[in-house]
Amino acid sequence: MTDPRIARLADLIVDYSLALQPGEIFRIDALDVAAPLTLAFYRSAIRAGVHPYTSLGLEGTIELLLEHGSSEQLEYIAPQQWEEIEEIDAIATIWSESNTRALTRVDSGKHAAYLASQRRLHNRRWERIAAGEMRWCGTLFPTSAHAQDAGMSLSSYEDFVFSACHVDTEKASDHWRLVASSLQARAEALGSVKELRILGPDTDLRVVVDGRSWIAADGRYNMPDGEVFTSPVENATEGEIRYTFPAIYHGHEVEDIRLRFEEGRVVHAEAARGDEYLSTLLQMDEGARILGEVAFGLNYEIDRFTRNILFDEKIGGTMHLALGSAFAQAGGSNTSGLHWDMICDLREDGEVYADGELIWQAGQFLHEPLSESDPMEAAERA
Amino acid sequence: MPDPRHERFAQVLADYSTSVGEGDLVLIESTPLAAPLVRALYRRVLEAGGHPEVRLGFDGAAESLLGKGNDEQLAWVSPRLAGDSQHADVRIAIEAETNTRALTGIDPARQAVFARSRSHLRDRTMERAAAGELRRVVTAFPTDASAQDAEMSLPQYEDFVYRAGFLDEDDPISMWVALGERLARLAEWLGTKRELRVVTEGTDLTVGVGGRTWIPCDGKENFPDGEVFTGPVETSVEGRVRFSFPAPHAGRLVRDIELRFEGGEVVEARAAEGEAFLREMLAMDDGARRLGEFAFGMNDAVQEFTGHTLFDEKLGGTVHMALGKAYPESGGKNESALHWDLVCDLRGESEVYADGEVVYRNGEFLPDLF
Repeated sequence: MTDPRIARLADLIVDYSLALQPGEIFRIDALDVAAPLTLAFYRSAIRAGVHPYTSLGLEGTIELLLEHGSSEQLEYIAPQQWEEIEEIDAIATIWSESNTRALTRVDSGKHAAYLASQRRLHNRRWERIAAGEMRWCGTLFPTSAHAQDAGMSLSSYEDFVFSACHVDTEKASDHWRLVASSLQARAEALGSVKELRILGPDTDLRVVVDGRSWIAADGRYNMPDGEVFTSPVENATEGEIRYTFPAIYHGHEVEDIRLRFEEGRVVHAEAARGDEYLSTLLQMDEGARILGEVAFGLNYEIDRFTRNILFDEKIGGTMHLALGSAFAQAGGSNTSGLHWDMICDLREDGEVYADGELIWQAGQFLHEPLSESDPMEAAERA
Repeated sequence: MPDPRHERFAQVLADYSTSVGEGDLVLIESTPLAAPLVRALYRRVLEAGGHPEVRLGFDGAAESLLGKGNDEQLAWVSPRLAGDSQHADVRIAIEAETNTRALTGIDPARQAVFARSRSHLRDRTMERAAAGELRRVVTAFPTDASAQDAEMSLPQYEDFVYRAGFLDEDDPISMWVALGERLARLAEWLGTKRELRVVTEGTDLTVGVGGRTWIPCDGKENFPDGEVFTGPVETSVEGRVRFSFPAPHAGRLVRDIELRFEGGEVVEARAAEGEAFLREMLAMDDGARRLGEFAFGMNDAVQEFTGHTLFDEKLGGTVHMALGKAYPESGGKNESALHWDLVCDLRGESEVYADGEVVYRNGEFLPDLF
């Protein structure tokens, strides 16, 4: 018998995350190692009256392209890819691999050229998403490679992934609807905050968020999900931060990063391991030294670091602050080729103050958010 | 160590069958089971300056669509499929199934709806191929499922497949060139004939071929290959034919088919097993009751029936005929969403007459004819 959680995860994304409607065009992007979840998506979409099709890649072909391809071949995009992106109503991406480090030793210049050319296609996708013409959701099918990165057996990793998505129970979409309203209320409450001060081990950082919008990440774009995020005021970050979890960028790990900010810019950076890589990335462009995102991780089913940003940035009780490009929909304006999420564990003894008031301690908000949209409830609580 | 025959296989498909060149958009269509060949081919296409794109199907999707999809879903064609038939310069389809009978439980009427909804894409593909805008080859990668159909172990079946493609030889390409030359002479000679009559146990069938073109098949569209075919005159077929080999189609197997033709049309159809499916296919559209193809299997490295049409129809000593769609390059005009090859073994006591003269006996053309 196949794991019933696979079908539930597919149903959750089809029904809740993407809310697919009969007659819509739905593409499932994955590598062959994720075939079981791909098939579950396909079946779920057929059941929902949707028109699904799959774009299943073969593990190992990107490596061949990067090793043997000319620059023309690396940059090539087939004409039907451009046509498809105009017609699709929704895409689900399954990020699963059978070796997460297969590209570690490829020529970085060729890899960059390949990514840059793919970015043209991605940009068009994001334009359509921003215009409300298309939806997208990214998820993961547990494989041995990802379990290995997490330092877990495959079966315990499966438990971890499926419980983070809440598909170990049958009413997963009910759960996510509740999460959505609670995150929405939290985002609304944070919207009136002018400045956050983050205190933790070797960390005392002020981040200005005045006038920016907080966004609830409630399972529509990622599954699992569970964070609220915004883009800070670009020239206002001051102080120091230490990231206790390794920060990973394109398979490279940098350990124990410490950053000092002045007027929004990183003025000092060091790391226990990967120091050189860190300074290379900081020099990528002007915006690479500026924060593009500040966020609270609020999925408490995710209780450990697993070397996968889809999960790590949502660990309940952490904050992450990304160097590089900001989110326009949050009011951010920083632009950069970089967007590097770094995660700060605040579960032991972290504190966060909002305009001088303590709002977060040891990995938890101290109060349920007061929802302005529900004055009765707000009055009761007061 | 990888099987060296995979690399030779990839080389023949890219260099010989489809002549992949600079800038060609090359679709490699298969399933994850053929991964070793797909990767070898992907690399070969890159080396030839082409742009390889992999299209993988996987188990269960077709069953889900055909079993559970509504009519609209069944008839829907994805933008990927539509774009592929429009833009590809080369298509290399590698069959590699985990279960050749996965669709046995599907309602044949729904399979017919599915096939009809895609027939315009197949027509477009044939048009582009005929106009020289597209090179395409269909081949098969040995899997356990096909080995099981052939009643062989996987290693035995691998040997069978690679032998049939001359891939166990040092220089398969020159062998295909040589076979191609022989088939071209045969095709030219058959082009002078007006009528063929096939006689063997349970079979006495007359097929008009006057004015039609015979096409030699030398590994450029099917691989392995080895046949000459034409499109019979649509109204000419008369008599009875019995297909002793089981006929697989769309994930099913029909056994011991017997057909009677009058004025080119099937007027009686029987099968020992799968008769309902046979009737459903014949009722698909008007053209499904007429022959779109008549051919001689000429690959002597294929000597065993394996239940896989790609190989069975090439079997040296057989003829096959297809119900449904004709290939326009042969001069055939029959239109249908169906194209179902049925193979008739002539290696036993049998004769083929061309314009009244015996030209073929017990599975072989008489010597010195062409």
